[in-house]
Amino acid sequence: MSLAARRARYVLKRLVQAIPVVLAIVIVNFFLLQLAEGDAVDVLAGEAGSATPEYMAQLREKFGLDQPLPVQLAAYMKNVLMFDLGYSFRHDMPVSELVFDRLVPTLLLMVCTITLAVGFGIVLGLLAASGLNTWRDNLISVFALVSYATPLFWVGLMMIVVFSLRLGWFPTSGMENFAAFHEGWDRVRDIAHHLVMPVITLSLFYLALYTRLMRASMLEQAGMDYVTTARAKGLTERRIVFVHILRNALLPVLTMAGVQVGALIGGSVIVESVFAWPGLGMLAFEALFARDLNLLLGIFLLSALLVVAINLVIDLLYSFLDPRIEVG
Amino acid sequence: MILRRPGRPLPALALLFAAAFASLAQAQTAGGTMVLIAQPEPPSLAPYLSTSGPIGLVAPKIYNGLLDYDLDLNPVGELAKSFQISDDGLTVTFLLEEGVTWHDGEPFTSADVEFSIMEVLKQFHPRGPNSFKEVTSIDTPDELTAVFNLERPAPYMIRAFSAYESPIVPKHLLEGTDIREAELSNNPVGTGPFKFVEWKKGQYIRLDKNEDYWKEGYPLLDRIVARVIPDASTRTAAMENGEVHYGAFGAIPNVDVVRLRDSEEIGVTTDGYAMINPMALIEFDTTQAPFDQVALRKAISLVVDRQFLIDNIWFGYGKPATSALSSNYEPLGLYVATPDAYPESPDVDAAKALLEEAGIEPGTTAVLDLIPYGEDWRRAGEYMKQALGDIGIELELRYEDVPTWLKRVYADYDFAMNINYFYQLPDPVIGVHRHYGSNQIRQGTPFVNATRYSDPEVDELLIAGATSADEAERAATYQRLQQKLAEDLPVVNLFEMEFLTVYNEKLKDHTVSAMGAYGSFDRAYLEE
Amino acid sequence: MRFWKLFARNRSAVMGLVILAAVIALAALASVFFPDDPFRLVGRSMSPPGENGFLLGSDTLGRDVAAGIAHGARVSLLIGLLATTVAVALGVVLGGVAGYFGGWIDDLVMRITEMFQTIPSFLFAILLVAILKPSISSIVIAIAVVSWPAVARLVRGEFTAMRNREFVQACHVVGMGDARIMLREILPNCLSPIIVTASLMVATAILIESGLSFLGLGDPNVISWGFQIGAGRTVLRSAWWVCTFPGIAILLTVLAINLVGEGLNDALNPRLRER
Repeated sequence: MSLAARRARYVLKRLVQAIPVVLAIVIVNFFLLQLAEGDAVDVLAGEAGSATPEYMAQLREKFGLDQPLPVQLAAYMKNVLMFDLGYSFRHDMPVSELVFDRLVPTLLLMVCTITLAVGFGIVLGLLAASGLNTWRDNLISVFALVSYATPLFWVGLMMIVVFSLRLGWFPTSGMENFAAFHEGWDRVRDIAHHLVMPVITLSLFYLALYTRLMRASMLEQAGMDYVTTARAKGLTERRIVFVHILRNALLPVLTMAGVQVGALIGGSVIVESVFAWPGLGMLAFEALFARDLNLLLGIFLLSALLVVAINLVIDLLYSFLDPRIEVG
Repeated sequence: MILRRPGRPLPALALLFAAAFASLAQAQTAGGTMVLIAQPEPPSLAPYLSTSGPIGLVAPKIYNGLLDYDLDLNPVGELAKSFQISDDGLTVTFLLEEGVTWHDGEPFTSADVEFSIMEVLKQFHPRGPNSFKEVTSIDTPDELTAVFNLERPAPYMIRAFSAYESPIVPKHLLEGTDIREAELSNNPVGTGPFKFVEWKKGQYIRLDKNEDYWKEGYPLLDRIVARVIPDASTRTAAMENGEVHYGAFGAIPNVDVVRLRDSEEIGVTTDGYAMINPMALIEFDTTQAPFDQVALRKAISLVVDRQFLIDNIWFGYGKPATSALSSNYEPLGLYVATPDAYPESPDVDAAKALLEEAGIEPGTTAVLDLIPYGEDWRRAGEYMKQALGDIGIELELRYEDVPTWLKRVYADYDFAMNINYFYQLPDPVIGVHRHYGSNQIRQGTPFVNATRYSDPEVDELLIAGATSADEAERAATYQRLQQKLAEDLPVVNLFEMEFLTVYNEKLKDHTVSAMGAYGSFDRAYLEE
Repeated sequence: MRFWKLFARNRSAVMGLVILAAVIALAALASVFFPDDPFRLVGRSMSPPGENGFLLGSDTLGRDVAAGIAHGARVSLLIGLLATTVAVALGVVLGGVAGYFGGWIDDLVMRITEMFQTIPSFLFAILLVAILKPSISSIVIAIAVVSWPAVARLVRGEFTAMRNREFVQACHVVGMGDARIMLREILPNCLSPIIVTASLMVATAILIESGLSFLGLGDPNVISWGFQIGAGRTVLRSAWWVCTFPGIAILLTVLAINLVGEGLNDALNPRLRER
């Protein structure tokens, strides 16, 4: 079988294997969320200012919350299998609409953050590893760690104070200046303008991980036999580092980046909150506290699918980068 | 404030005034987009189903009520040009404005009024069944007249006609539908100065000027955008940066207000909250030992340093509670101070003495639940822990999320002490009665009598206060009520809260009625 | 000892160790330096550092920030250690069993860890704390539940690699029980990556706790650095000292733990070679 066909079969196999995992996640999440006290009707009644027990019972009936759990679960699973993510009782809108509305801002934030964090992480890790235990190495490690350990909201707020209020370079929050009704490229530029601070804040946090990983990975590769062989063969140091070591060192970094994708939906809650960025993290957070179970389950489902997909992509990338790794 | 005396319609003077105002309006700058903060994001835009505050920030710009209320709480015409209450108090006649159309072009008539009150508010609104309980029917002799027929006089009712409290909704869009399910809740259609355009969940709600608004020359603004910004410090930054023009109900934290109030670009006001009368308080479970003992509750009331709370947590905004009713009811003649239970400054010794007498040992433990609506309440809880520790009561603080807390306190009654705050609203019948009446002990319903306090004398007083139309009679009733509640203290009031509106000085005429932030903003404009 | 020599080569790791020792000392001696309950309202509120007898200032209620940091050190370190211990214990047991026995046990454990990987971990922690209601124990449980999969995967990898080695096979021949083999023979050989991972987890736990407090999910009855940060965040621009000093405390501690962890890694990892 050709390499391409083998890869295709592998992809299919992984996708098929993913199904039970995703379904299991849905079931586990469903029961987990049931453990939380109070339900969406309690929240709605509280917000409305008052509600009679009859009204609340009526609402529960309408939402299907009065059914026994297995019945509710079965109904939900049935919908999911038909690609129907259900209805958000709190927002009075289909879950899919709510989620897809926020998908683009989330992806924007995620992709830019990972690109920046991984990019800089690789560069810094490289610089640190090539100057092992020198002041350069120590400085980079400390910088990376400081940006990791500083509370995210503090960094975010300081950025707003300095770059928005004092210097006026960037807007304080939000995804775009809707009062201006930009179109086309103007709108793209406006969104990019709003994207800068949240991305930098979040990247600083993840930078440490990639820097350290890259450094460790480079060092590990440097001690390998093939490097000694390459030197013995007379290859230049530059060629050894940048062609051979780098390529191998990148592998764990890429894996980690893939793993981080899933974490990014949740980890950005704080940044989304501080910068009023309309992402899935905040949506999930609010859904939890409004006990909007359909919405929360929908987001978890999406996240699960995303992680499965990314893992698959990473594994395929691996096989491209390292011919020793087989697929299928 | 003057209760409209029966038999006299609003003088023509008011009409002259309105005309004069309209011509004055041409001098203001028209145009511009005002950005206000909607925090938290409203769950819907259906003020006829919910009294949620954030809905009140947006919906009254889209819907009108029959009346508005000026800064002195006097009723002022909105959809109703004038009104007349019969001598016996059993008939209220409203004469409606002409030439009013809904945002979809349909004409507004008295049929909409009848439908809104009888079929919508009386049935589904949280306070509607109470506010309009005496209304048996509404006659509509012609398209511009609505006659309310009451079973008993209801002096408080006339204060419940604002667009926030009782919006008039389109009969032609709601009739025959399941009102709770209607599309209208996310796509409002009203008669107000601004039309709903779009709602990007999690980001903003956009309202455009209603070009066909029935009030000539208004509104002045082109557009209102309500922005959602979850983080408090970011809201402040956005206000400082001029990205938002208006934030009410504590959208800007008090600590930042202190920093900003002296700035030239930013203004702060406590006006516009006269219809709200918020009161911070502690509810007790009066059926559970040791909180079933009045002595303990009274001791707690004596030991709390109310001014400390106001100065350090709310940065000076607020007034210590001095009675079961807010002192804002003084103009109505309904308030009286009860210093026995609400001393001017804390009296630790008296509190200790009370406890000793009642045989309550130091070392009593209890859990204090805190309303989970922000950091301020956690600080209040932490202060209470210290203060009560001084008289030998050991408190454990509990801070849960909203649904957990609601269920625990109002559905399960699984609490001992709960710090909370309630709006006493423009008349105690609407806002205060629900916390003390025996018939208000309704398990599963939030924000009613959760202390399970029940006293026959109090029940009688509550009925008397709701049904008597005579001012002097009402005053005497409420005086006795406050004295009785000061003796029994099922609820210990902490302080009268002061909400703040923070605004950009370029924004003018935003707080022109008693409704404040919940007003229509038709007269608001942005200076160049 | 060779280990210490290797460790000491990394100067930042040594510095980290010094800082960490200082933090631990502060935690241990908190009651000596600050005998009062840190929750006590002891003086003028919103006092800047150095005024009114407050070394690091006071917060909105008049509590001593320095006292809070000293007592909070204990709680934050404890949360970090406890959560990590639980996570490591769980991870070692499940990962070890999976790696040693292979087969369906391995598949099951791997699928379970995969599931955990797909739920955004911080959200999951928030969810657990919300369900269990905010308290120190629920925070510890939440952090542990979110952290154990990484340990399990690591341990599983090590055990899988080790189980077919000759020395293990020799143990089988001799008739050693499985439990004994796992505990006495295999585990000691893969301790180093576990130690390194565990040390980093302590730091992460402290950070997660502060993140949870920021979102309002901290334990209201216990002073921790996360608690102080959460309480001070609304006054960040008017009374910067209230959450900045605890933030610095977290920063230094996390920094220190990470440096020590890196030092451990360099010292324990036989495959690393410096130039």
